[in-house]
Amino acid sequence: MNIKIDGIRVDIPEGFTLLEAAKFLGIEIPTLCWHEGLSAWGGCRLCVVEIGEGERKKMVTSCTYPVEEGIVVHTASEKVVKSRKMILELLIAQCPTSRTLQDLASKMGVIQVRFDPKWENCIYCGLCVRICNEQMMARAIGFVNRGNKLEISTPFDKNSEDCRKCGGCIYICPACTLRCQGINQDNVLCNACYNSLQPTCISNEDNYNCWMGLKNECGTCSKEESKNI
Amino acid sequence: MPEDKTPCLVFSAGTCGQASGANDIIRLAKRYILEKKLHDQIHLRITGCLGFCEIEPLILIEPDNYIYPGINAGDVADIIDATIKGEVIEELFYREDGSNMKYPTAKDIPFIRNQTQLLLENNQKLDPIRIFNYISTGGYAGFEKVISNPDPDGIINEIKEAELRGRGGAGFPTGLKWEIAKKAGGNSLQKYLVCNADEGDPGAYMDRNLLEGNPHSIIEGMIIAGIAIGADKGFIYVRAEYPLAIKHASIARRQAYDLGILGKNILESQIDFDLEIIRGAGAFVCGEETALIKSIEGEMAHPKQRPPYPVNQGIWGYPTCINNVETLANVPVIIGKGAREYKKVGIPGSRGTKIFSLVGKIKNTGLVEVPFGTTLREIVYKIGGGPQGDARLKAIQTGGPSGGCIPEKMFDLPIDYDSLNKAGSIMGSGGMIVMDEHTCMVDIARYFTKFLQEESCGKCSTCREGTQRITDIVTNITQGRGKSEDLKLLEELGQVMKDASMCGLGQTAANPLLATLKYFKEEYIEHIEKKTCRAVVCKEIISSPCQFSCPIDTEVSVYVALIAHKRYEEALEIIKKENPFASVLARVCHHPCESWCKAGEGGDPIAIRDLKRFVTDYGIKHKLCQTTEPVKKTNGIKIAIVGSGPSGLTCGFYLAKKGYEVTVFEKEKVIGGMLAMGIPEYRLPREILEYDLNYIRSAGIEIKTNTALGKDFTIDSLFEQGYKALFLATGSHKSLNLGIKDEHVEGVLPGMKALASLNLGEKIDLGKRVGIIGGGNTAVDAARRILRAEASESVAMVDAARRVLRTTTPESVTIFYRRTIDEIPAYEEEVEGAQEEGITIEFLTAPKRIIAENGKLKACEFLRMKLGEVDESGRRRPIPIRGSEFIVELDTLIVSISESPDISFLQDTGLEFSKWGTVVIDPGTCLTKREGVFAGGDLVTGPNTVVNAVASGKIAAESIEQYVSGKEIKREYKITRPSRYIEPVEFSEDQMAELLTAGRSRMPTLSPEKRKYNLIEVCQGLPEELATQEAKRCLRCELETEEGKLFLDKLQENKPLTEVQK
Repeated sequence: MNIKIDGIRVDIPEGFTLLEAAKFLGIEIPTLCWHEGLSAWGGCRLCVVEIGEGERKKMVTSCTYPVEEGIVVHTASEKVVKSRKMILELLIAQCPTSRTLQDLASKMGVIQVRFDPKWENCIYCGLCVRICNEQMMARAIGFVNRGNKLEISTPFDKNSEDCRKCGGCIYICPACTLRCQGINQDNVLCNACYNSLQPTCISNEDNYNCWMGLKNECGTCSKEESKNI
Repeated sequence: MPEDKTPCLVFSAGTCGQASGANDIIRLAKRYILEKKLHDQIHLRITGCLGFCEIEPLILIEPDNYIYPGINAGDVADIIDATIKGEVIEELFYREDGSNMKYPTAKDIPFIRNQTQLLLENNQKLDPIRIFNYISTGGYAGFEKVISNPDPDGIINEIKEAELRGRGGAGFPTGLKWEIAKKAGGNSLQKYLVCNADEGDPGAYMDRNLLEGNPHSIIEGMIIAGIAIGADKGFIYVRAEYPLAIKHASIARRQAYDLGILGKNILESQIDFDLEIIRGAGAFVCGEETALIKSIEGEMAHPKQRPPYPVNQGIWGYPTCINNVETLANVPVIIGKGAREYKKVGIPGSRGTKIFSLVGKIKNTGLVEVPFGTTLREIVYKIGGGPQGDARLKAIQTGGPSGGCIPEKMFDLPIDYDSLNKAGSIMGSGGMIVMDEHTCMVDIARYFTKFLQEESCGKCSTCREGTQRITDIVTNITQGRGKSEDLKLLEELGQVMKDASMCGLGQTAANPLLATLKYFKEEYIEHIEKKTCRAVVCKEIISSPCQFSCPIDTEVSVYVALIAHKRYEEALEIIKKENPFASVLARVCHHPCESWCKAGEGGDPIAIRDLKRFVTDYGIKHKLCQTTEPVKKTNGIKIAIVGSGPSGLTCGFYLAKKGYEVTVFEKEKVIGGMLAMGIPEYRLPREILEYDLNYIRSAGIEIKTNTALGKDFTIDSLFEQGYKALFLATGSHKSLNLGIKDEHVEGVLPGMKALASLNLGEKIDLGKRVGIIGGGNTAVDAARRILRAEASESVAMVDAARRVLRTTTPESVTIFYRRTIDEIPAYEEEVEGAQEEGITIEFLTAPKRIIAENGKLKACEFLRMKLGEVDESGRRRPIPIRGSEFIVELDTLIVSISESPDISFLQDTGLEFSKWGTVVIDPGTCLTKREGVFAGGDLVTGPNTVVNAVASGKIAAESIEQYVSGKEIKREYKITRPSRYIEPVEFSEDQMAELLTAGRSRMPTLSPEKRKYNLIEVCQGLPEELATQEAKRCLRCELETEEGKLFLDKLQENKPLTEVQK
């Protein structure tokens, strides 16, 4: 099927999702609740892209949306980036200790979290539920309740006989495996590890990123800015 | 068959009818008919709800459709007897609140008359649990038409031509949906049809009503739809909270199976259709189609990202067509009547009718069926009967929690799917909640988002986290903890939720917020910046409505509680803390506290002003708080105040208390301003005024009388004399002219001048017949004062010599006012008092011409008026009636239409004036355009109340202090809280019962005969017993805040604390 992603025309076989098509092209779309071994869930909303043109533009999750003949996709329009940042802001405020989230935030240039941190240990991405059901065939855990009382648990909060203690749920969890240590009560944004992989700013003039006009790219400035917010 | 003329009693017994007692009424009627053996003479039918839920339980008598609303058990036998005799009972007929007009039949009642009932109409004709009833009234006719010659394309085309759109909210064209469903997966595949009766919006119940009242029409619609799309299995997914709907639908289903209308080979055709009724899982999100499918499958009701759409892949992966109850109810009507006939109702794009449930602050509530294109105004005013009471309508909330608010100014919007969307709301399933000015829009947003944060399924992050964050932030705002950057964040977050959420719930979850932010942003800003809730709703901001609404922040609930404990001295201290004019205001305040008192909702408000008067009188009697302690050493900073009215003296009082050297300049020979010159003694005895003035003087203020600005000094000269700041409070003493010819002839007097002369004991010649034009307090005061013209003036003001020249009381005093008694701005008790004393008030009368002879007034010609449309003041505009002129002979005509400030001496002083001739200031700080000059009171507002003048004096004192100490002049807004909490009075159960029935304590007043021609105070004050009794009625709203609850908890713990100091 002929589609157009970020201006690139490409032929993608039927049955592919927009996310797969983008990955095929090397276009990066951030994801959290998506995993190639599991069914698409569409819960974290981080992979939203904008499809259509003009009046009929709308945002959809690329992990669930199948390619259509002639579809036009923007993976990084202003609206998309804005929405992703807001979503990440919400998720970090919910679970600031997740390193996966902190790294994503650095990468996407999220420089402020305007919500009070909740210090929860889960972002309800449902990966654990799906790995338990789909890969381990155990169905030992699932969602309980809804809205602000939502949680992930075994039936009736009792130890489940179906659970084989395989640890798949922990393996796949983006919130509880890798903990971020760099955050504190005042500033829930860390921006540290990701930056250690990048050239560090000694002063602004020393950084080639800055020289090339790519301000905010390495994250150091973002971190400085976020301190001031 | 000849038509049956036997009368039939129709009982409306839907859930709403049963809840209001219809079952008992039905039982009584049945027993009565059996006992008296009346079966042959009267029929009886139990139906679903007829829509006008407000007046249930009701009995409707066919064939004439007489309607008896709100009946009691005792009325049943009478109604049956009368009906059999062919009579009616007129007293029981429907009448609107406050009107005596009776509406005998259902078709006469405006609520029903102004509707177009296409679907609801049938409810009256049917017993929902009798299928033959449905068939005999033309039911299953459409089905018959279809089954005899099944033509799916024909049906779909008919529906398409009828332009039927889904009634569930989104308005997707039903014909198109069916076409897609028919094509989906070819012909071989299993397909499902679902009737969505999971109606979860708070306040919306049209689906319940249809299922309860006419379940067969839904089944008929479903079979037709099933034939059209090729589905042989249908589900009715109905809320488990609707037991009666489930019962009626189940009975109807069984009856249809029994008659072969459902099942295999329907009526011996090749068509099968099975129907299953599924009870909802109890979550709001189950109404969302993909979640509903999950729920039918037995899974957790989590929505699924579309595409694939349910019409392609629905229940267990098979094509599933989901239609709303009301949509399906329309199908038999369209097939029966034909699309062409159906299309005659409604507007292009939105055909047919829509049922709305109209609830909220409106006279008539219930289900309303109107054609698309009807305006909101028609629904609200013609059908709903307009607002309850005097409050003005503010907005209407449509579409339930996911909908939005539409402000009053947009009520002329014709309703259809697209117009509502454009206005930022949605049709939703059709809930309409009417809100008046007692509804806080921020609180409404908080209520709905709180509902949604609990009902979000939690699958997608934007909806789950978004609703929680919005709820948190909006709750903070309603509790006075909002920050100015919150609004931007809310707007951003709301937009992201709208754009990026998975299902309809999430995408619309921000609507209540975004719509209120769009139309009522100023209310949000007031909550955040000024810590004000104009609707007096948000408890954590207002604490108690009485204290909050008091312009000078008097801790009303505290002193009322202290009175209940008989701790009068403490109560007096609380009052005097914020109010140097306590005794004066205890008599003449316009008491906004009482207007907002919670006890006044459905009862009498606490007599707060009278209680204050009791305490201040107690203080005078026992010589408490007579003076205040002057500061030992002044700080040497000189402040000048021009005008010794309530505003000026209050400002001076508070500045003097802080150590400033205050000088007050007064033009007249007496001090007190309007209190001395405008308010007559029978309302405010001069010794009481003098008492408060002494209290103020004791703070150490210098007052110079007979010293006028512009004559004896100027603003510049004051600054030259070393005054650091200046407060102008010269009031509004100039009466406005009528603007007609000969207004200045002898005998025509400005109202203020006449009143001041009388109050100061100067002679004026009134003659025998006095007319007064106007309806304000000045007009009524002048009228009543004139009656007392001959009375001996207060000794303090008048010497014996002046008595010789005293004015004589005229024979007749008449007030001419151009509107009616409902609009008159003077206080109600004053108008009543005036009428009791024999003063005539001619309403709807306006002057046209003054007839003068030799430069002297002879008569005045008046015109009669009638009331027209509402003008910008919120009152109905008077319109002259042609040819209604009449002449009244008068010796004196007093013109008292309004007053304005005299600003002649303020020209060229660097001040700015409004077009009403008032001084322009920043209302938050009282600062004028000229540095160092502040202004307040009536000089800046025009004629206003005493308490507002005192309030502006307090604000000015604060600003002046900031100014002279070199700080930024800025008013700090805080949430309202009392300075201390008083423990509640303990009651026994008997006392409690007594208090609940006790009305407001009334102050004894002098009878008209005793008071008419003298200046003795009319109101005599509450005796102690009545005062404490009245104080005990207080509901103690301030104890319901978090701080108040904390206090109560501490009391509970039996700590030795009796009062917790803040």
